[in-house]
Amino acid sequence: MHNSNCTCWNCPAIDLKGKVDFRACGQSTTEFGKKKDETSEVYIMAECKRRPELGLFDPMSITFEDCPQWQKTPYGYLLKDMRVMILGIDGYLGWTLALWLGSLGCRVSGVDNYNRRKWVKERGSHTVIPISSMTERLHSAKEVLGIEIDFREIDILNEKERLKEFIDEVKPEAIVHYAECPSAPFSMIDVDHAIEVQKNNVLGTLGLLFIMRDVVPETSLLKLGTMGEYGTPLTGRPIFEGMFPADAVLHWDGREWSLGGELTPRDPVSFYHVSKVQDTFNVYEACKYWWLRSYDIMQGVIFGVHTDQVSADPRLRTRLDIDEWFGTIINRFVAQAIVGIPLTLYGRGNQIRGFIALRDAMECMTRLIACPPEPGQYAVVNQISGVYSLRQLAYLVAQIGRKYFDLDVQVQRVENPRVEADEHPFEALYEKLPKNYGFTPKVNIAKEIYRMFELLSKPQIRERIEEKKHLIIPKTWWSGVKREVKRLELLDLKEEVKEDEERYKIYQR
Amino acid sequence: MKKDIRFTSANFKEEVLESKIPVLVDFWASWCVPCKMTEPVIEELANELKGKIKIGKLNVDQNPKIASEFNIGGVPTFILFKEGKVVKRETGARSKQQLLEMIKEAGISI
Repeated sequence: MHNSNCTCWNCPAIDLKGKVDFRACGQSTTEFGKKKDETSEVYIMAECKRRPELGLFDPMSITFEDCPQWQKTPYGYLLKDMRVMILGIDGYLGWTLALWLGSLGCRVSGVDNYNRRKWVKERGSHTVIPISSMTERLHSAKEVLGIEIDFREIDILNEKERLKEFIDEVKPEAIVHYAECPSAPFSMIDVDHAIEVQKNNVLGTLGLLFIMRDVVPETSLLKLGTMGEYGTPLTGRPIFEGMFPADAVLHWDGREWSLGGELTPRDPVSFYHVSKVQDTFNVYEACKYWWLRSYDIMQGVIFGVHTDQVSADPRLRTRLDIDEWFGTIINRFVAQAIVGIPLTLYGRGNQIRGFIALRDAMECMTRLIACPPEPGQYAVVNQISGVYSLRQLAYLVAQIGRKYFDLDVQVQRVENPRVEADEHPFEALYEKLPKNYGFTPKVNIAKEIYRMFELLSKPQIRERIEEKKHLIIPKTWWSGVKREVKRLELLDLKEEVKEDEERYKIYQR
Repeated sequence: MKKDIRFTSANFKEEVLESKIPVLVDFWASWCVPCKMTEPVIEELANELKGKIKIGKLNVDQNPKIASEFNIGGVPTFILFKEGKVVKRETGARSKQQLLEMIKEAGISI
């Protein structure tokens, strides 16, 4: 198990007590009083909230493997009945994770203000996979999977007191923060949307950090970032996992320094991505000032529709958006293929990105929840399972649609409404999750795309795609222009095959 | 962190000051990002130089008395001990190569 050797130093179920005078962390200043052994030289002691009978002890003396509260699961030791709160539980990821964790025995709670539903509706679109109201979702989760979810409708930005009360009541041992607007184009519509995205994301997260400081400083925060924070450095240097390793050395003026631990440069490509970068700094500082502990999860482009739980019953399905603002690229490609729109590549179409399937993302999150950071630790992981060029993916989707679903799928290049490099090197490192957390990708990308075709071809869903297909081709330009992009070229798929085979060799790690 | 490279107040005298071979101590803290990024390098060196030099880590928050005794003002701080005496110290993240040079500059053959 990847977390066998973690100790109470990592565990959110302990209170740290003792004298911490090395730096003013503000968390562990409780005096031992009479309990302290005067001859002891261990200054920070643990007191277990789950096993108070242990009294005060050295926090590094008990491992997860030895503690009866940490129990084996396929994804590492997990705290028995671990209390996990999901912010943004009604979303594509939030709902899926709620059911996933519930099925592992976690006590799941969550909040949402239905912003995602409102934003998609505002753009005139809808989720092509129908989802029910939260009341019905909760009822179905109980009826089908036996999972009880403690839900509150709370706006984390504007109802901080209510959020604080709920967190204080539940005392979650991990908080997963998905309650952000995840769309670059949505943030580029106009000034009001840019401000809304930045306010919601940056200030919502900032408020949460203060609440955690005051109420649950020992709880681990799993905050969703994005690989898009890094941009695509044209030097071709590796995209590290948040910070430089110690062996990255800066040479200048005949001298050299290790860059170990410094945050790597960020180069966001939309006001949404800027909000994520700002979050990174806010979370990083909060860990430093208050000894909060956090994973900043730089997730790649997500795709897919399947986990065992959401597929267990139509009422448990998670949402799937295909519009230009909220549809991620593979999800959008499959929808286009089904209703006969040529798959759209922006500009040259040679952008390269990291990707991860929905199911694999859930496993990664669980492995991280199972291995909380140490007090004050700000850690970063690049959560991707493969790297592909967008052309390569368009070709793959087209091939599956043609071969197995008898669809005449075309691929087109259109004007690029974004300001981004559409031909660039890309070497993303994503070694921590496999090396340190025992993750190996389980989802074969072609199989998941096949599964998406199966689901999205169903008459009811196909009809819902047809209704909103006019919202797939982008009209939101980074320049502020509002017009539909024009086609540049319809690609010859036979030639694409050859090129993709070459690219695949280069970029597949 | 592997247990065998963890120094504490309880074992510092025996493991570091009375050690028969030189010892490199990495004074670190869990909130210190450069310390965490140096961790793999420390583990690698500890394995590679086993028997020639002992390499381990001491958490300054959990062992403030020792941190104070050696006047640790920033982390990571690397202190090289030989026969119980400080022979070299450096503060700030270091690459593997830089740590090897630090050891060599202290006149320790590896």
